[in-house]
Amino acid sequence: MLKKQLTPYLLVSPYLLHLAVFVAFPVVFSIVLTFHKWNIISPMEYVGLTNYVRLFKDATFLKSLINTCIFLAIHIPLQIIVALFLAEVLNQKIKFRGFFRAAFFLPVIVSGVVVTILWQQLFGYDSGMFNRLLVTIGLDKIGWLTDPNVAMTSIALMATWKNVGLYIVLFLVGLQTVPAHYYEAAELEGATHTQKFFKITLPMINPTIFMVVILSTIGGFSLFIEPYIMTGGGPLNSTISAVLYIYKQGFFYYHMGYSATLGFFFAMIILLVVMIQKRFVEKDK
Amino acid sequence: MKRSYYYKNIILLIILAVILIALNSCGNKNERKGDSLIYWSSNNTQEIEFANYITEGWNKNNPQQKVTFQPVPEGQSSEEIILAAVVGNTTPDIYSNMWQGDVEAYAESGVLVALDTLAGFLDFISTRCDSSVITEITSEDGHIYQIPWKINPIMLMYNINSLKDIGVNKVPSNYGEFFSASAKYQKDTDGDGYIDRWFGYSEVLVTWWQRFFDFYPLYLAASNGANLVKNNKAVFNNEYAVQVFKFLREMYEKKYFPMERLSARQDPFLTEVISTRFTGPWEIIHAEKYKPKGLEYSFAPMPVPNNHVGPVYTYGDPKNIVIFNTCPNPQSAWEFIKYMIEEKNDLKLLEMTMQLPRRKHIEINPIFQEFFKSNPKMKIFAEQGNYVRGTDTAPVLKEVFDLISQEYEACVIYGIKTPEEAVAAAAEAVDLLFIDKAK
Repeated sequence: MLKKQLTPYLLVSPYLLHLAVFVAFPVVFSIVLTFHKWNIISPMEYVGLTNYVRLFKDATFLKSLINTCIFLAIHIPLQIIVALFLAEVLNQKIKFRGFFRAAFFLPVIVSGVVVTILWQQLFGYDSGMFNRLLVTIGLDKIGWLTDPNVAMTSIALMATWKNVGLYIVLFLVGLQTVPAHYYEAAELEGATHTQKFFKITLPMINPTIFMVVILSTIGGFSLFIEPYIMTGGGPLNSTISAVLYIYKQGFFYYHMGYSATLGFFFAMIILLVVMIQKRFVEKDK
Repeated sequence: MKRSYYYKNIILLIILAVILIALNSCGNKNERKGDSLIYWSSNNTQEIEFANYITEGWNKNNPQQKVTFQPVPEGQSSEEIILAAVVGNTTPDIYSNMWQGDVEAYAESGVLVALDTLAGFLDFISTRCDSSVITEITSEDGHIYQIPWKINPIMLMYNINSLKDIGVNKVPSNYGEFFSASAKYQKDTDGDGYIDRWFGYSEVLVTWWQRFFDFYPLYLAASNGANLVKNNKAVFNNEYAVQVFKFLREMYEKKYFPMERLSARQDPFLTEVISTRFTGPWEIIHAEKYKPKGLEYSFAPMPVPNNHVGPVYTYGDPKNIVIFNTCPNPQSAWEFIKYMIEEKNDLKLLEMTMQLPRRKHIEINPIFQEFFKSNPKMKIFAEQGNYVRGTDTAPVLKEVFDLISQEYEACVIYGIKTPEEAVAAAAEAVDLLFIDKAK
C-alpha cells in the first residue's frame, strides 16, 4: 500500500529535484542576495536596502530601461506589420508558397550569435553591404552601429528579420481560421480588398495580434545577444539593454547583490507589463 | 503482473541513477593523486606543451613531491574558471596564468598564500626582478601574493614598406610625427568619397579591457609609467591622460583611425588596410603564418607627446603565478615554481611559447642571446621589457577601467566631451567608486 502511494512521488521526483535545484533555489537565493553585497569570493555582507536605494539613483540602469522601451517601440509594431503583410501574401495561392514559407522561417532556427555576426558585417560602415548599396545609389553612408541615434534601430531591424518567421506562422494560423464565407459575403456587397482587410481580417485575428504582442514584448525585454555581440551596449550606452546591464553588473564586476536587485526589479516590470496586456486581452474578449 | 513489477523496478532504477548522477556531478572533481600538488596552466597549445615539459622534468627529479598538471578547464575565459574554482573550493594548488589585476581581489578574500612568508621567496624574487616590479606586485596589506612570470608588452607594430611608400623613413615616435604620417597614409582607395585606408586601428568598443590596447599603454608611455590609482584614489587626472585623450581624439576626428569595427574581417594589418597597430608579441606568430609575400613589419615603442623626456613605458600585460590556500604544502609548491622559472626554463618558455619571461635585463643575459639572434623581433620586446608596467593594486580595477572607457568613448570616439572634462569626470567617478567600496 505504502509502495503504491510512494510510486507517483518517486516518478515525479527527478522533475521536482530539477525544479528545486534550478528554479526554486535560484529564485529564493536571488531575493536573499538583493539585501547583500557579494562579489562571489568574499563572504556575503548584509546591506539592508542599499541595493534598492542605489537602483533608483542609477542613471545607467534608467538609460538601459529607456533603451529597452525604445527597442520595443520600434520592434513590436515593425514585427507585426511585416509579419502580417508577409502572412497575408503567403496565405494567397502564389507560386513556390511552400518554399517562401520555409525561407522566412529559416532565420528563427539559426543561432542568434551567428545571425548577429552576419548582420554586423552587413551593417559595417565602410565595408558593409547596406552602406555600399546606399553609396551606389548616391546616398550618404549611415553609421548603423556607430551612430548613437541609429544603433538601436539597426538592432531592432535585425531582431525583426530574425524573428518574423515565427510570427508569420502564427498569423497564417490566425488567417486560416477566418471563415471564407465572410469574405464572400463582403465581395457580394462590393467591398474592396482594403475594406475586407480592415473590416474582416483584422478584427478576426485580434487574438493572434495580442498573442504576438505579448510574445514579442517578453522576447524584447530579454534583448541581450544582439547588443552584447554587435555593440557591447555602445555607442554611448545607446544600445545597452536592461538584461545586458544586469549581466554586466553580475558577471563583469561581480556585484552579485546589486545585479540580483536589478534583475528582481526588472522581473517586476515585466510582470506588470504582461498583466496590463492580459487585462487588455480579457477586456477584448 | 510480473511484467508490470519488472517495469516498475526499471523505472525506479532509472530515477535512482538520475539522482546519483546529479549529486555526483556536484562533487569535487579536482581530486589529488596521493600527496601530489595540482598545477593548472593556461590552455593554449604552446603553454600546455611547456607545462608538460616542466612537470615531467620536476617529477623525474622529485619523486617525493610529485606535481600533477592539467590545463585550466575550458570556459568562456580562464578568469571565470578560476573564479568558479574559488567559489567551489576546487582551486588548484598552483596557477600560472593569473592576470595581475585580479590578484588584489583574491588576496583581500584570503584565498591566496602570502608568498613572502615562504622561506627563500624574497631573496629569489629580488634576484629575478627590479625593485620597481616588487613594489608593483606588493599588495595593499604589504604582502606579496604573486610571482611575476611573463609579459607581453604592447608596442607599435608597423608596416615597413608602407611607411617608405609615403616617404616616412623613421618610425613615428611622437604624436606630431604620428599625425603627419597618418595624413599621408590615409586614403580613399576606391574613389567613393570615403576613407578606406587608415594609419592605425583600435577597437571602438567600450569594453573595459580594450583600453589595455590604446589608452593605458599610451598613458604609461606619456607619464613614464605613472599610476592610474593609488591609495584608493584616482591619480590620473593629469596632463598625461589629457594629452592621450587629445591625441586619440584627433586620430578619430581626422579619420586616421576608423570608427568601424575591423576585427570581424580579414586582418586589416596584413591586408594593408592599416599601416600600424598597438599590439603584443603574439602578433609575430600570426603574422609569420599569414602575411602576404613582401610584407615586412617591425615593432617600436608607443608614441609619446612631442615634449616627452625619458624612457617610453608601456603596458606589459603581465601574467603571474599564485599559490591558492587550498594547497597542503605551500613550501613545496614554491620549490616547484622556483624550478619552473629558473633561467633555463625561462628560455624554454620563450622558445616554446614566444612569451617573454619577466626577469630583469633579459635582453643582455647570455643564456637568451642565441634565441634573440634567431628571433630579432622578440629582442625588441625584450628591450621594452625593462620599461613595462602591470596594473595598479586595487580590487576594483575592472570598474576603474570601465569608468575610464565610458569617458573615453564620449570624448575620443564621439567628441561630445573635451579631454579635460572626460578625464576629470572619469577621475571623479573612480573616487566615488572607492568611497562606495569603503562604506
